[in-house]
Amino acid sequence: MGRILLTCRLAARDLRRRPAEAALLLLAIIAATTTLTLGLVLHGVTDEPYESTREATAGPDVVASVSGDPFLGQPADLAALEALTDAPGVSDSSGPYPLVGVELEADGVTARDLRGEDLGGAGVWAQGRDPAEAAVDQPELTQGGWVRDGGVVVEAGFADALELGVGDEITLRTRVCGPWLGEAPDCRVAIRRSFEVAGVAVTAAARPYPGVCFGRDCPEIAEAIEGSPLADPPEDEPTIAADAEAPQEPVEPGLVWLTEADARGLAPMESGLSYVVNLKLADPTDAPAFVDDRFPTTWSAPFLQSWQDIRDEHDQVVKDTAEVLRTGSWLLGLLAVAGVAVLVGGRMADQSRRVGLLKAVGGTPRLVAVVLLAEYMALALLAAAVGLAAGWLAAPLLADPGASLVGSAGAPSLTMSTVGLVTAVALGVAAVATFVPAVRAARISTVQALADAARPPRRTPWLIAISARLPVSMLLGLRVAARRPRRAVLSAASIFVAVTGIVAVLAARAQFGHDAELVGGTDPTTDRFNQVMLVLTVSLVALAAVNAIAVTWATALDARHSSALARALGATPRQVSTGLSASQVLPALVGAALGIPGGLALFAALGGGGDGVSTPLWQLLAVVPVTVLVVAVLTAIPARISARRPVAEVLASERA
Amino acid sequence: MNANESLSRVGPVLRTRGLEKEYGRGEGLVHALNAVELEVASGETLAVMGPSGCGKSTLLHLLGGLERPSAGEVWLAGERIDQLSEKALARLRRRAIGFVFQAFHLMDELTAVENVELPALLAGRSPRAARRRAVELLERVGLTDRAKHLPSALSGGERQRVAIARALSNEPLVVLADEPTGNLDSAATLDVLRLLDGLRSSGQTLLIVTHDSRIAATADRLISMRDGAFVEETRLTHGTTGRLAELAGLEG
Amino acid sequence: MPEAADVSIQEPTHGYQLRVVQEVLLALLAKEASHGYELRARLQLALGPLAEALNAGHVYVTLNRLEKAGLVTSERVGQTDRPDRKVYVLTDAGHARVIEWLEDTSWPKPAPAEFHLKLVAAAAAGLGDPVRLVDMQRHALLAGLAAAQRAALAEPDGSVAGLLLEGVVLRLQADLRWLEACARYWNETRG
Repeated sequence: MGRILLTCRLAARDLRRRPAEAALLLLAIIAATTTLTLGLVLHGVTDEPYESTREATAGPDVVASVSGDPFLGQPADLAALEALTDAPGVSDSSGPYPLVGVELEADGVTARDLRGEDLGGAGVWAQGRDPAEAAVDQPELTQGGWVRDGGVVVEAGFADALELGVGDEITLRTRVCGPWLGEAPDCRVAIRRSFEVAGVAVTAAARPYPGVCFGRDCPEIAEAIEGSPLADPPEDEPTIAADAEAPQEPVEPGLVWLTEADARGLAPMESGLSYVVNLKLADPTDAPAFVDDRFPTTWSAPFLQSWQDIRDEHDQVVKDTAEVLRTGSWLLGLLAVAGVAVLVGGRMADQSRRVGLLKAVGGTPRLVAVVLLAEYMALALLAAAVGLAAGWLAAPLLADPGASLVGSAGAPSLTMSTVGLVTAVALGVAAVATFVPAVRAARISTVQALADAARPPRRTPWLIAISARLPVSMLLGLRVAARRPRRAVLSAASIFVAVTGIVAVLAARAQFGHDAELVGGTDPTTDRFNQVMLVLTVSLVALAAVNAIAVTWATALDARHSSALARALGATPRQVSTGLSASQVLPALVGAALGIPGGLALFAALGGGGDGVSTPLWQLLAVVPVTVLVVAVLTAIPARISARRPVAEVLASERA
Repeated sequence: MNANESLSRVGPVLRTRGLEKEYGRGEGLVHALNAVELEVASGETLAVMGPSGCGKSTLLHLLGGLERPSAGEVWLAGERIDQLSEKALARLRRRAIGFVFQAFHLMDELTAVENVELPALLAGRSPRAARRRAVELLERVGLTDRAKHLPSALSGGERQRVAIARALSNEPLVVLADEPTGNLDSAATLDVLRLLDGLRSSGQTLLIVTHDSRIAATADRLISMRDGAFVEETRLTHGTTGRLAELAGLEG
Repeated sequence: MPEAADVSIQEPTHGYQLRVVQEVLLALLAKEASHGYELRARLQLALGPLAEALNAGHVYVTLNRLEKAGLVTSERVGQTDRPDRKVYVLTDAGHARVIEWLEDTSWPKPAPAEFHLKLVAAAAAGLGDPVRLVDMQRHALLAGLAAAQRAALAEPDGSVAGLLLEGVVLRLQADLRWLEACARYWNETRG
């Protein structure tokens, strides 16, 4: 018992002596634990808002839609859709409602088509509705009133992104393109109608903007079609009229509701209209099975989506964010390990000399190691607690579903497994970083420790020989780095991790930037995502910067004697400080160079880069010199300070 | 071409005027040196003795440009050095001054020959020339067979001899030795003593700060210091054997 | 700061004499009978550079005295083409004297009471600064040390005379250490 008490006392006293270092370590591990907590906890946090929206709007269990084929002059198969309302398991329904793909034009809203041309509008699915309340899926108004002649109700997320409010003037126009054969389809505006925004509402029957899709334009349907009869060309080639035209499908669309008459008025031809029906099932959990049973075999059959699909889309942003955060937390954790390892390494060298003091209280080098371990474990536990708390508090903010759902994300639950994992990671970081020095300290005999033979510098003959051929600064820098190879490796590893993260972020930005250009206005999903990635990038850079400075300090301290000696033998202060900087820049160079393929690999492993969009080469190439420059600048200051201390002072205080 | 040719070889190698050094402030103010006047001629060996705290090491540091005086002037071969920038001082040390320290101050991770060639490398000489010179110097101090050894594998006396070889690397105008035998046993002291004597006879200007009277006795001239000032100075001429005989107990 | 002083002492006119030259000669004769000439040569070998200072005739005078005291006897040895030489032989009494001397552990030069009293007197009478006196004496001894050391370094390795010079050096060192202690003491007392 006494030993434990002693250990605790010594640990506490040691921590108090070096508050800045303890604070840095704490911050490093907290960064990792907070992001990890967020990453783990964001799961299912949006379930609540979606549930409340479903309740408030009598949300459907299945949404079915059907379209016509304008090229063949075929109208939509309304009968098939209506047949669904009587299908077994269906307890209630609303619709069918007409649906037409149009463009919305309002002040300050623009969009580009797939070829990158400015369309001057945003894609929209316009759904025709009854002014009377529907049994299933009656969107809940958050502003204004329901549909009326000349008045549209805009979906809340869409309205938020486009900054539309009640009373705004908008124009809906239908663009028609034909023929689709040939290289450049000729698209022109066929219908244009002005409306006023009558209200803003939320619904549970549609995916969040800009992913509103009805059946066949939903991405997973396109994948599923791959193996189905729909993928094969029809047996007899249908004849397509030379002047056949089709409305242009909206790109990255939002959703608006208007009166049925207004909606039909926007359709250029009967075959250009789609219809949608909302179904309620006796057992909502049956919805996916219901959808799978009725997978379409022809293009004219209805396409279905379940409420789970829609909910998952609402969740998707948060899921993506969570994944990014989880990955980011591992990166931050690695950086924390590197940083802690460097600091601990420097501390152990210092601690060995204090063994003599501890011997007086009956201590041994082993005790020193145990005390150090205890210190860092305590810090790690504290960091885990703070990280869990911070993550718990911040999760609702990140999981905020935004305008498209009512109700806010509830407080996330901290399950035992989450708490356990985060704590384990924090302790793991501390343990890994402290392990090697602690084991080494426990093994050396007291005599050796007192003689301070604990950490003699390493000697690498070929590096020494090479350095002799270099200019003086490089000579000094290379030798300084070679004295502590483990630290050089840690330094390189730290930069490698940071650059990996940054390159992955760059690749993600390139991907999302490409996607975002297709959208009108701002895309709320990528916005949130970008914010998270920005915070992550800043954290990585900050932590790596702190590591770089810490390593430089540790190196400068360690090289104090040889730097002073070099100056006594004729090296100028500038040569010495440049050398110290170089000793950091060289590992950073290696780390940065390796980090580029590392980051690209990480991005690919996370499932990115599918569209053949590649990160701009100049960005990738710029990472290395920028990193080197930043490291050089960061390390210049401690290097300079250390190189200017009076030589005599250092030599007098240091052993031979 | 000897880089030292640009420095004057006429007149004293080292000269100080009114040299003063203070540490601390207010009540903690310490006068380490009080208006010291000194001249060291070319080829002379000067020993400075005194109790600890008398300022002899401080004097050495000031002469070598390792510290700046609070007042006064320091001249090296006709050039004033107390006002030079750190950079210029470093260059000066590279060209004209060799140091020998009590604690040896060798680089632990370099072998003996790598330690000795270091000043030459810092002065920009080619690796081959530096290595050649280092080998020569190690031979001169009698450590050719220890050239590839690390300092940890050398005895104290051997380490100091390596340090002396290092100090000679760039053909300095003056070698400044601060308690060169302070950490050595008597046998090693003798080795170093012989070396210093050899240096003296080869015409090297040498300034030795020491409390070891044997080392001091190798000098041409001896100065005693106390409380930051010189108190006694003696030319150590060759004693006649008559003098020796008296000291040996042969009574006159 | 005083002028650099050249320390030198007038050489005594009659050369130096060895106090125990009697015992040494007896001891040298213990090995074998020898001429006076041989004995002088062996003394010179043992004293090295210091032998020059030894009074030339002293050896012969001492041998005479020893004979008168009955510690040695002499014989004349005839030589074919040279004048007769005296060869000295150790007697039993002489032998006993040698043994006695060898086993005698008294050590010359006891503690330097003289210098100590000099300092006390100077301080008491206010005639001189003891610290200054110590410094002067130190420098004088150091000059001697320098001379002895140079001579020692000049001796070849393994030379027996070198050992003598080493002894001079080390004794002076010890004295100098004591003088440093004196300096410390008198410095604190007056300060």
